[in-house]
Amino acid sequence: MNARGPTRFASGSAYWGAVAWLALVVGVGVLGPWLPLPYPPATPDLAHIAIPPGWGNSAAAHYFGTDPAGRDVLAELVFGARELLTLSLPATALATLLGASAGGAAGFWGNRGLALPLAIGPLALAAGWWLLALPYWLISSIILLIISFLIFIYQWKFARLGPRRFAGVTLPLPLDSLVLGVATLLSAVPRLVLVVALAAGPPLSTSQLLAVLVLVAWPDTARLVRAQMLRVRVQPFVEAAWASGLPEWRIWWRHALPHACQPLWASAPLSLAGLIGLESTLAFLGIGLLPTTASWGHLLGTLRQEPTAWWLVVGPGSALLFTLLALQEVARQLSGLHSSKEYFNKTASDVTAAHLRTKIK
Amino acid sequence: MAQVNSRAVDVINLMHYSLLQTDFATGTMAPTLAAALPSVQFVGDSLTHLDYHLRDATWDNGRPVLATDVAFTLKLMHCPELPNEGERTHFSFIRELLLDPADPRHFTLVCRGQAPEYRLDSGDFPILPENPLDPTHSLRQFSLATLQDWPRSTAPAPAVAALVQRYQQADPGHHPERLAGCGPYQLAAWEGNHSLTLQRKKKWWGDRLPTAPLVLQARPKQLQFLILPDDAAATLALRRHELDLYPQVSARDFQRLQASATAHRELAFYSGPSYDIVIAGFNTRRPAFQDKLTRQALSCLFDAKSLLAGTQLGQGSRTVGLLPPTSPFYNDSLPLPAYAPARAVALLRQAGWQQIGGTWKRAAQQLAFSVRYRADETTFETVALQFRAAAAAVGIPVALRPTEASTLTEALRQGDFDVCVRKLKGNPFAFNFLPILHSQSVGEGNFTGFGTPASDRLLEAIAAVGQPGRKRLLLKQFQMMLQKEAPLAPLFVLPYRLAADRHLVQVYPSGLRPGYSAATLTWAATPSPDH
Repeated sequence: MNARGPTRFASGSAYWGAVAWLALVVGVGVLGPWLPLPYPPATPDLAHIAIPPGWGNSAAAHYFGTDPAGRDVLAELVFGARELLTLSLPATALATLLGASAGGAAGFWGNRGLALPLAIGPLALAAGWWLLALPYWLISSIILLIISFLIFIYQWKFARLGPRRFAGVTLPLPLDSLVLGVATLLSAVPRLVLVVALAAGPPLSTSQLLAVLVLVAWPDTARLVRAQMLRVRVQPFVEAAWASGLPEWRIWWRHALPHACQPLWASAPLSLAGLIGLESTLAFLGIGLLPTTASWGHLLGTLRQEPTAWWLVVGPGSALLFTLLALQEVARQLSGLHSSKEYFNKTASDVTAAHLRTKIK
Repeated sequence: MAQVNSRAVDVINLMHYSLLQTDFATGTMAPTLAAALPSVQFVGDSLTHLDYHLRDATWDNGRPVLATDVAFTLKLMHCPELPNEGERTHFSFIRELLLDPADPRHFTLVCRGQAPEYRLDSGDFPILPENPLDPTHSLRQFSLATLQDWPRSTAPAPAVAALVQRYQQADPGHHPERLAGCGPYQLAAWEGNHSLTLQRKKKWWGDRLPTAPLVLQARPKQLQFLILPDDAAATLALRRHELDLYPQVSARDFQRLQASATAHRELAFYSGPSYDIVIAGFNTRRPAFQDKLTRQALSCLFDAKSLLAGTQLGQGSRTVGLLPPTSPFYNDSLPLPAYAPARAVALLRQAGWQQIGGTWKRAAQQLAFSVRYRADETTFETVALQFRAAAAAVGIPVALRPTEASTLTEALRQGDFDVCVRKLKGNPFAFNFLPILHSQSVGEGNFTGFGTPASDRLLEAIAAVGQPGRKRLLLKQFQMMLQKEAPLAPLFVLPYRLAADRHLVQVYPSGLRPGYSAATLTWAATPSPDH
């Protein structure tokens, strides 16, 4: 490992401040249900609606005030942090995973590198016909399935008997065009507009909202990893892996992908910040989330009902601001660390050499 | 005819006149298209004849408004496949309209029953012109009773079906200009989700009247209704003078405005009791809500007293049923519904529910359900949150489903809900609960699906009873039945609050919708005093 990176990495007080804040958010979010909060979330205190923070001796004081529905702001803040852990963080992880896989595969195999058995063609056509409920969907899907089955049997049988015309024909999968096309299509619409369009209507469950956030977030990661993969796949260590006869899946998974994903260390915190901002915007607009779901954005949105309630801005606004700034600081530091060319090259060649040695043995 | 939402009535009443309309100065019904209140004649012991004479009113094309237009409107109301379920049930007591061959402006309504409210209630629907909608007079071959009694399972007669198709194709709900009324205003502009502009007609029959009563006055040359997304936007618009009048102000905004010295200088504030009641309705078609003990138990989980204090800041009042405490027919011998979780648990056990592993179960049923309410109503959300928290405390999981207004109405009509929180509109003129609680209104206005032979008989008797003493007795029985059967839990009666520019006079604030008299609004040189 590069010695300069971690030193610079560790030296910044801003960085440690950011890490400490994120640790606090994570800690509060994880321990939320067990913290000794005076009031549970999403429970109105009808005797104290929209009251400012109170620090009286009462055991049931609203330390951070209440919102216009009488919900305790402190409880909403704590469980809002939990919402980040259960929604934004998994959404970022899944979007990164999906984007990295799709972008990495697209960059590695391109449009002609991956071929599928010919039987997959009619099978996919049958699935599409059936899903889109095109005319005569049932009979058409059955015919296509039969064709798919016949092709499979034919190819399987003649592959055993020896090479024949048509027996070895495969279907090249234009993976690069597919991934780029879908990513471009999703990116053509502003992210907020797309999410609002998808989340409008009845409130979504957490898993549904998670799926929506992943859907809009993966294209950025995919494009980044694809671009990196185009550089990585022509690196000597990858070519050496090809030359050594390693299976292509192994080369992709063990050698190329880890290096193509290096920029994600810096981009993932920014993706997380983006998704937190997006989720908060949705909650602020009252879209997507149930009123029982605690969210900093939702808490901010209640200000519209009580414009003079400053405590509805200070708590969730500060929490949101500090979290976004902390994530940016972490991303900045990680970016500095991983943009070191020496680090990249050294690590890459070290790792590849180790794998190659293992293979040659 | 049917309104997509209740606020559409505010505009419709300015474009289409009824026989009788609310006089906001006196809080009673006054003759509008009718020359006078109808004379009443009881026939036998089960029929009422209401004798109407129409004013010398005309449509925009100069044709007179005649009794045949009234007959056509009533028949159109009962045509199948038109979305008039509520009106159909409400006016089902009018069985026939007898025309006077000698006087085309004179007719008699034959009503089933002998309720004194029929006199005022019978004229409260907008009259539509027959000729533009039915130029061949195809509906005249059917009597009103024939259309009312037409079996639901039978296809409508070809002439009726053709008329319905023409009406639906005209789409007057979205193109009001295709259905001119005899009111003083016409739609000049409609910007979706933003504003509606009504223009005073230059030539209107009411201008010929030497002294127009209040209900026939139309002073503003133009009225613009702004559609504002939430209370905060409306309050801001009012303070920026983009709005001159703001009805149904939320309790907090009203209090905040009143506390502001600047707003107090510029605005006049009006408030008082209304006839709108916030209720929680149970879908009695759901197996879990079919028995009254479960419904009673869940009713005990609404903290109406705290909800009234919290959401309405103490204004408004609690009630035992669907009548406000100010009504002479209010049953004050009944106790107000109390927040009693312990009693809820006892009633659930009595209903056969058992708490097993933290959940309530009865045979194969589990007591877990959702609450639907209008997404843009803070009061309803607070009610739902309070109920959810109270239910969770006794081990009942409740999910909240805030829903957009028109989607919610459709869902309620189709019975796609477990519990709903909504507002029921009332008035002091009529006590007709058939549209909302009679078994024949299930799938139409009776969203709860409630209805037993005994409750149906009681509701029919209330709608038709003539003697005030007997009516009082029946209404008290009705309130008692409502508490016992608990198809819905009445929570509280809402107050009305209205803020208007101080220079705006002849506002006539009222607890009746829309809460003010739009057609009489006038600008005064000097600001109005405090109210």
